[in-house]
Amino acid sequence: MSKKINKIIQAIFPALLMVSGALLTGAILIIISGNDPIAAYAALLEGAFSNSYRISETFVKAIPLMLMALGVSIAFKNQIWNIGAGGQFTIGTILSVIVCLYFKLPPIPTIILSFIFAFIGGALWGGLAGWLKARFNANEVITTLMLDYIATYLLAYLVYGPMMDPNGFGYPQSAVIEKVLRLPKLIVGGRLHTGIFVAIAILFLMLLFWRSTLGFKIELAGQGNDVSRYAGIDNKKIIVITMLLSGGLSGIAGWNEIHGIHLRLMTDLAGSYGSIAIVIALLGNLNPLGIAISAYFFSVLIVGGNTMQNLTGIPYSLVDIIQGLIVVFVITRTAFRTESIQTFFRKRRYQHNG
Amino acid sequence: MDNIFTATFFVSIFASTIRLATPILLTALGEIYTQRSGILNLGLEGTMTMSAMAGFVCAYFSKNLFIGFLGGIIVGMICSAFMAFLSITVRANQVIAGTALTILGIGFSSFIYRIIFGIQKLPPQVESLTKFDIPLLSSIPYIGTIFFQHNLIVYLAYILAVFSWIVLEKTTFGLNVKAVGEHPRAADSKGINVSKVRYTAVIIGGAFAGLSGAFMSIAYMNSFSDTMIAGRGFIAVAVVVFARWNPLRAMVGSLLFGIASALQIRFQAIGVPIPNQFLLMLPYLVTIIALITVSKKAEFPSAYTKPYSRMER
Repeated sequence: MSKKINKIIQAIFPALLMVSGALLTGAILIIISGNDPIAAYAALLEGAFSNSYRISETFVKAIPLMLMALGVSIAFKNQIWNIGAGGQFTIGTILSVIVCLYFKLPPIPTIILSFIFAFIGGALWGGLAGWLKARFNANEVITTLMLDYIATYLLAYLVYGPMMDPNGFGYPQSAVIEKVLRLPKLIVGGRLHTGIFVAIAILFLMLLFWRSTLGFKIELAGQGNDVSRYAGIDNKKIIVITMLLSGGLSGIAGWNEIHGIHLRLMTDLAGSYGSIAIVIALLGNLNPLGIAISAYFFSVLIVGGNTMQNLTGIPYSLVDIIQGLIVVFVITRTAFRTESIQTFFRKRRYQHNG
Repeated sequence: MDNIFTATFFVSIFASTIRLATPILLTALGEIYTQRSGILNLGLEGTMTMSAMAGFVCAYFSKNLFIGFLGGIIVGMICSAFMAFLSITVRANQVIAGTALTILGIGFSSFIYRIIFGIQKLPPQVESLTKFDIPLLSSIPYIGTIFFQHNLIVYLAYILAVFSWIVLEKTTFGLNVKAVGEHPRAADSKGINVSKVRYTAVIIGGAFAGLSGAFMSIAYMNSFSDTMIAGRGFIAVAVVVFARWNPLRAMVGSLLFGIASALQIRFQAIGVPIPNQFLLMLPYLVTIIALITVSKKAEFPSAYTKPYSRMER
């Protein structure tokens, strides 16, 4: 048991160190800008926790971020750099709203069908990049990025064109989905909704997933072509499956945002979620629990950051800087860690030879 | 409606195509050096935003556009030197390092801008670069308006495309850049300093992106906003792949993106009921298709995104 606790501490400690490093650098920037860092971070915390609405907002924001980061983490485990989670999310939102507005079904089947469509939509959008990589060796960084833009313009086309709300005074948005299709709210005066249970369920599924055969195969495929080929894994098939699942989770995040928060399509629903999801997945060390914690942490930063800007005049962009710094710390650490492992093995080999 | 497709319409579309293609072309040209050396710099969006801010701030306080461009270029070089450090010295994953650079660049530029100027009712402005009509040529009907009535940076971008092609194809330096991108070990054994060439290539890329960022804030517009780059850094990466690492083809790619946005802006302005989103989508689709054909022929630099270490086999 104490071994297990030790292991957990070992996993969390570096993450805490990197977050503190980023926050400290942020504090230095605040001082340079002529402000008080303690007041700034106090305002940030106040903005995130001072009343029940704000606390509920931290969870509201954390749900899609966690789902997308979980999706991104599947691809990253296989060393596939899916940077288009935003596009996969967008396709999920589009299909959810299509099911809700045009499939004249009873409420429960609609919600379920919407969920399935959002998953499949996101999965196909990601899977397409996976297939292009497996079939044509097309670099997934470029394809997921391009598909991200294509999804954004597709959404814009729909809300400016065929799906524009006929009673919406020409605003670029779709009609609102019916009241019965909304996920019930959990607290009065906040936006927190039952979608959080879906998110928690998926978090548990992900924990199980990495213990399953498929999860193991994906992880093994990420260790390099040779390793997995010796283990008898069809690498190309695994690439496509990895990207299907990766995109699918972002699609579910889209479903969640439509039924829980936005209730309609608008332009640029994904915002910068795609890149924040990457940061979260990395800080969480691609581990589902780690991702859940870092998603919540970033959500606090985002919710509190606005209050900080209003109260102290320190720009919200400080939150972006902290995010960027965390990524820099994470990759630097990862690079040095692999380096030291390699040196270790080389030394052993030399000793053996000598 | 019937008579919008007149000669004037086409002349103005083509003229703005050339102008809109300029920042994309500049950034793409720099990224060609970078990628040819085996480094994928995905942080161009952040670099350009930083340079747009730096260019604006320098031009605003010095009242001199030249200093603005210089400031933009220097900041672009600093940003990309950081990228080079992460991907060459630290040997971090380049995709993630680029993502970090983009987030950091946009965050820092907006932070610094706010610290310097605070919140103002009217955004501070500079006198932006005026257009320079090339004597004689600019008075040729149609052709003159399309090609020879732009500001100097626009002409410079197209000249640099030809120049970069010569550098990469005809000089020793270009050969070295390609060598470390294709086969770093062989290059190393021939006595080429792999890290040095890669650092140089990435920093050249930063200088181009820096000029392009400054172009956005003090030549294309006359003010700064942290969203003004609007994906151009990523589009430039797409153009590089579309162009298969050839500066002259990058010109074609940039013009393709340029005409799509020129048509979109114009159609939107006159309210043509053509879904212009498909127009905007087209270049991205073409890039994916180009990528498929490129990848099949394996024209990617062989050491693309692979860090080099002398010790590894």
